[in-house]
Amino acid sequence: MRSVLFITAFIVVFSCELPPKHATQQNTYSRATDTITQIINEEYVMITTAVTMPMYVNHDQAAFKKWGEKMGVKVSILGPAEWDVPAQINTIEEVIGTKPTGLLINGTDPAIAQVINKAVAAGIPTVVYDSDVPNCNRHAFLGTDWYQIGKMQGEEMVKLINGNGKIAYMGILGLTNMEAGFQGMLDVFKKYPNIEIVGKYDDKANVEEAAKITADVLSAHPDLAGLCGFDSNSGPGMALAVKEAGKAGRVKITTVDWEPEHLALVKEGTIQLLVGQKRELFTWYGAQFLYDMVHKTNALSNNDRQAGITNIPQTINTGLLRITKENIEQFIKHQ
Amino acid sequence: MNCRWQMQRRKIFYRWLRIDFIYDPKKVSMLSKVLEERIYSLSILLVVVVVTASFIFPATFPTFENFSQILLNLSIDTIVAVGMMMLLISGVFDLSVGSIVAFAGCLTAYLMHFYQLPVPIAVSIGLLASLIIGWINGYLIAYQGINPMIQTLAMMGIVRGCALLVSGSGIQNLPYWFNAIGQSKLLNIQMPVWYMLITIAVFTFLCTKTIFFRRYYYIGGNEKAADLSGIRVKRMKMIAFIFSAGLAGVAGILLSSRLGAALPTMGRGLELRVITAVILGGASLSGGIGKIPGALLGAVFMGLIANIMVISRISGYWQEIILGLILIITLWADKALQKRYVST
Repeated sequence: MRSVLFITAFIVVFSCELPPKHATQQNTYSRATDTITQIINEEYVMITTAVTMPMYVNHDQAAFKKWGEKMGVKVSILGPAEWDVPAQINTIEEVIGTKPTGLLINGTDPAIAQVINKAVAAGIPTVVYDSDVPNCNRHAFLGTDWYQIGKMQGEEMVKLINGNGKIAYMGILGLTNMEAGFQGMLDVFKKYPNIEIVGKYDDKANVEEAAKITADVLSAHPDLAGLCGFDSNSGPGMALAVKEAGKAGRVKITTVDWEPEHLALVKEGTIQLLVGQKRELFTWYGAQFLYDMVHKTNALSNNDRQAGITNIPQTINTGLLRITKENIEQFIKHQ
Repeated sequence: MNCRWQMQRRKIFYRWLRIDFIYDPKKVSMLSKVLEERIYSLSILLVVVVVTASFIFPATFPTFENFSQILLNLSIDTIVAVGMMMLLISGVFDLSVGSIVAFAGCLTAYLMHFYQLPVPIAVSIGLLASLIIGWINGYLIAYQGINPMIQTLAMMGIVRGCALLVSGSGIQNLPYWFNAIGQSKLLNIQMPVWYMLITIAVFTFLCTKTIFFRRYYYIGGNEKAADLSGIRVKRMKMIAFIFSAGLAGVAGILLSSRLGAALPTMGRGLELRVITAVILGGASLSGGIGKIPGALLGAVFMGLIANIMVISRISGYWQEIILGLILIITLWADKALQKRYVST
């Protein structure tokens, strides 16, 4: 009995495998080009979290599907319905096992770096979009700098309130990209001692919540000068409460995204600035990069992998849209 | 008389269908046994699902990598589900477990990252904090009579807020030995799966072999009678909340270790997933029934369905609808079959 226990313990201890000390960089190009010669059932998979979020559906996913139709390849969109990063990681892990032709991953959080490395190590061309993921071996990144989104809002707000007054801001607290946006805005305000920050709020990406918070802030600070929003639903919620309080136009609002409801609020003068991302470009060109990598379009050497290079750009900043009352008509007509 | 007439009518019906063997008395008793226990019927259903999926996706589904991935993905939920099963057996539930998962992970990471505390001390403090949350929940519900739903709903918000305060947008670059807890492998299977199996084994033993834990069935079955028979119901309930929160804390620390990061958004919606898995595994919201392995089977069933939907590329829009429908159909079919065969 003792010897059985001893042997079992011996097997258990010696079959235990610790994780690698550091993420391996040498796998960046591993086997990515090996798939080129055998493309069967070509399929590109986009994996995000909050897959049903209207902004993602109307921009990212619509462009990705359109690209798939144009290129005549299968495209699939997967991920949890709620904002759930661990569930997104689980989905990526499960998809890796099915060996898709390419992976287009929304960089929702730095925590997904490990699973991206796993995909790359499995030989799957992998492009990250929206927010970059530090310390990962992704083949390319396309997106915007959230710090700049915050900075653009901060600078516009300073102009709108002449560098003087009370400001509140809201978004989804705890998200890396939004926290970077908050920081960009706060760094601008630091230079203006007459600007007072009265609160940072979590509107949970919910219009009703944003409206409720705004109404409360307006009650507590009747002299509030401005509001800054960082998620898609912040703007409509803030605008609703400001209109209900009869302060439309007096309380200045800057926010993100450019859905039809946002554009209408700019046109009527309730919102003064929209900072938009070129989201369609994230997924259209992200998918195209994957395709080009797989099909060796513009190969830069006899064997890119052995040369330690890829034939696609590594980092693309798609830039921001600045939408105000001056150029609003162009966007309304476009939609 | 009425019963005999019904049996006669069924017999005729099944003969007409040429499946009259169902009415072999021995087979009926076997079928009754299987249907009486959800863990047996769910096990059979799991086998059917696995075999069917293996035929439909022979290249991607029945592989060691895929099965170990399914188990890894459900390991965190299952550890929390064990605590929830104990609570549901005693007739209560806890909506704050998802927030505790986030808080325990974030607090542990915070202590290691900003105060450079050694891994064992930070982990112990994270676990202790979870137990304290469980104690507060348990005390207010059991001794002060606050409704469990209201109390744990309020605690859910408080604890989530604390997780946000502690971690901001999340904490990365955790110590190597902390990450090793959740990222190491044993027999090529990642450690959280082993922790899950150990948790199931320990709590199955406790709930079947110890008088202390068996008392939860009496409490859930009839709280007043349990109280009158000398069981310290309030104390027992409080302990159940402490166990549940402790397991949620373990799950949170494991999840952070597996991800190599602590996110304040971890465990969002986990409470409902876990309650669903536990109900599917044989527990009842009214208490008194359920077995610990049922929590595992319920979670495995949900994990399998989610995995098959990913493999078959069913979009996220449909996944929740399909999962909800499958759960309703499974529970309905189980009840209907029980009514038909177990009562005869």
